[in-house]
Amino acid sequence: MEKQTAEQLTCYHCGDACREETLRFDDKDFCCHGCKAVYGLLQESGLCDYYELTERPGVKEEDDATTVRAELFDLPEVREKLVEYSEDGITRVTLYVPQMHCSSCIWLLENLQRIEPAIIRSRVRFTSKELSITFREEQFSLRALVELLRRIGYAPLLSGGKNTAGQRGPGVPRMLYIKLGVAGFAFGNIMLFSFPEYLGADTSDPELMKGFQFLNFVFSLPVLFFSSTGFFTSAWAGLRTRTVNIDFPIALGIIALFARSVWDLLTGYGPGYFDSLAGLIFFLLLGRWYQAYTYQAMSFDRSLNDFLPLVVLRKRGSKEDPVSVGDLQQGDRIVVRDQELIPVDAVLLAGTGNIDNSFITGEPLPVRRNVGDTICAGGRQRGAVIELEVLRPFQQSHLKRLWEEHSGSDAAQRPAMPKMIDQVAQRFTIAVIFISVAAGLYWAGRDTDMIWPVVTAVLIVACPCALALSMPFAYGHTMRLLGKAGLFLRDSAVVERMAHIDSVVFDKTGTLTAREAYELRFEGSPLRPDELRRVHTLARNSTHPLSAVLADRLRPKDSATLVPSSAIEVHETPGQGIEGTVEGLGVRIGSAAFAEGTEEHREPGEAHVHIAIAGMHRGHFVMRKRARTGMADTVDSMRQFAKPWLLTGDATVDPEVQRVFANDEVRTACSPPDKAAHVRELQEQGRRVLMVGDGLNDAGALQQSDVGISVSETSAALTPASDAILDARHIQQLPAAVHLTRQARRIVVASLVISLAYNITGVSFAVAGKLTPLIAAILMPLSSVTVVGFVTIAVTLAAGRVGLRRKS
Amino acid sequence: MTIIFFLIAASTTVAVIFLAAFVWAMRTGQYDDDHSPAVRILGDAPLKATITKTTSTESPLQ
Repeated sequence: MEKQTAEQLTCYHCGDACREETLRFDDKDFCCHGCKAVYGLLQESGLCDYYELTERPGVKEEDDATTVRAELFDLPEVREKLVEYSEDGITRVTLYVPQMHCSSCIWLLENLQRIEPAIIRSRVRFTSKELSITFREEQFSLRALVELLRRIGYAPLLSGGKNTAGQRGPGVPRMLYIKLGVAGFAFGNIMLFSFPEYLGADTSDPELMKGFQFLNFVFSLPVLFFSSTGFFTSAWAGLRTRTVNIDFPIALGIIALFARSVWDLLTGYGPGYFDSLAGLIFFLLLGRWYQAYTYQAMSFDRSLNDFLPLVVLRKRGSKEDPVSVGDLQQGDRIVVRDQELIPVDAVLLAGTGNIDNSFITGEPLPVRRNVGDTICAGGRQRGAVIELEVLRPFQQSHLKRLWEEHSGSDAAQRPAMPKMIDQVAQRFTIAVIFISVAAGLYWAGRDTDMIWPVVTAVLIVACPCALALSMPFAYGHTMRLLGKAGLFLRDSAVVERMAHIDSVVFDKTGTLTAREAYELRFEGSPLRPDELRRVHTLARNSTHPLSAVLADRLRPKDSATLVPSSAIEVHETPGQGIEGTVEGLGVRIGSAAFAEGTEEHREPGEAHVHIAIAGMHRGHFVMRKRARTGMADTVDSMRQFAKPWLLTGDATVDPEVQRVFANDEVRTACSPPDKAAHVRELQEQGRRVLMVGDGLNDAGALQQSDVGISVSETSAALTPASDAILDARHIQQLPAAVHLTRQARRIVVASLVISLAYNITGVSFAVAGKLTPLIAAILMPLSSVTVVGFVTIAVTLAAGRVGLRRKS
Repeated sequence: MTIIFFLIAASTTVAVIFLAAFVWAMRTGQYDDDHSPAVRILGDAPLKATITKTTSTESPLQ
């Protein structure tokens, strides 16, 4: 294996450009040891077809916030959650593996038995990113299985799987598909049997016509008693709370259609409206199906347990045993390693705490904690192993309380907003009943035989099918377009909520400023790669926040497996810098004076870290916390829709962010309850608030708000009680998204006008007593198709007009 | 014309069988994942080609 300088080479495994160095193995290039190791493993097992199926199949091993330690899978409670079936040593588990993304992933994960013979069968369910594995547990433990998966780059998460299956979107219910299938089946057949009627075929054979009509009646029964039940239950549920929803006039229309048709059939008055009945329900169910779409692989309400380690190492004497977090007692000693979350409030006993609270606050700079300090649950240790004494059991910890204040959160509990469609439905129903009564009275004075046909015809033709379809299709389509642009809504009802907002509250840290993003540039004589490595090695030894940033940014991609060169004679002068010898050269990192350089001019918000190698000052790194790209434009263009506010837990706001907001729009030093209180205050002034936040400290505000959007950099990030998840890279799409929801609402209004025009036409036929089954059969599908086509095209055009871009 | 009733009975029976098959397939979850089965088929052929090389690591059930 030889090392080469990077020259536009891409990794054979993960497809990324090889930046730091290239590893050559088996005539192929790899960007890091992790990728090379996976290739080696696959090659050994004859699984290299993996690379034939897609271009960039591999998953690079990365430190993920939710990566769980494999020994946790040894614990009975964890095992019990995952195991679906276990008998005679054969066990089946379902794991949630969010990394799978392509055909190669599926192929590899389904051929695991070729790497490990104890695995009998593995099956992928791609839409929910689940992996079901059947294996011989006496030969191969669950833990070993998890370790194997992690080795090939598909570390399973503890969330997901059957234990939390109810939390992830269930997708479209199977029953809806079956109802749709039955309605479609009946609709098609009834239309076939109605053809003689449509074509005015000769009706000289009354037996034949009667036979067809009877068949239509039979086919309409499953439609009425199976497919349409949802509309009746919904209308009834509305009536019980003394409200008329959109399903009420629909249910009324269905009953009128069926009763009239049966009456026609029995009296020989006509062929009935069975085709319209089946068609109506088929189209309505189609609308339900379009509306029921959700992002199945996303979780909008993660529970705290999905993020906590669940299990920690408890130290007793010299022994370390894994125990469940819930079993920890006050006074227990626990051991927390690099990159692990501290699950309970605890006091530091040994080691140096370098605690990153980004999980709680969004603030990525680690804070230093010394022996004897209290550390709150939820912090992540970065650096060497620390030992802690448990201060409070998990149930009473700060984190748990913070969470519980905001849990039980549910979209249904959000402040009520008037639903346009239900308001329309109420007036519509009143109008329809009024017209049918008036028409009945009119005919009562002329021809009493016509009362029943006319009244039922009014109810039939006034059935607001197009009205009921316009919203699901308009909002459902908007939601899909927003999803393509990087904003994922919980369901299509959020579209209308978003259209109503007039205030927007931003969280600063982690939302407008990026979590890990620091602008880092070097000024001075450029450093060679080996010098950079030396600086990195020394910086790792320091607990100073700036060193942590430096260590993180200079880290070679393969540091996970590479044996790091070590620094000797390390000496840290608090407040000054750190010095040490790395690979034979003395390195100093710190202030200008410490590195024997000269102080340079500093912009506000900048930090300088000077570097000296072998006694020579080489220059300094300039670091500045970076706001997200396009942040200023985002806030500015949001102003045309909503008044912006900025809430932050920090005492000061970086100038880059401050510049965008007026002074009275910024609130600093907000605790999590303060944020929620501020949102409530705005709501009490009659405002409808959109909250954009991240992290647990925003959970209360996200839930209190009318629409809560959580900004997320990875799919595994915390998304408490949110209505939508916004991909952090697409934050500049937010104004366009809000604009589109408003346009969608206007499009719905326009489509209501169209469908009302159809209804008025139909009613005029009905009142005149001229609504033949043929006219009904033409008018109903025509109105539905027009409305659906209109809203779909209009929303697509609107998305282009407001400048919503598809994410690349 | 009575033959038409016989034909209708026959065709409807066939249609109902298809409907039943659809309901069965839906209920047993065959439409739950529409991505992986399509991909699974791609892996079949190369799998056989390489299987001889790896007999030692194969599962007894294969």
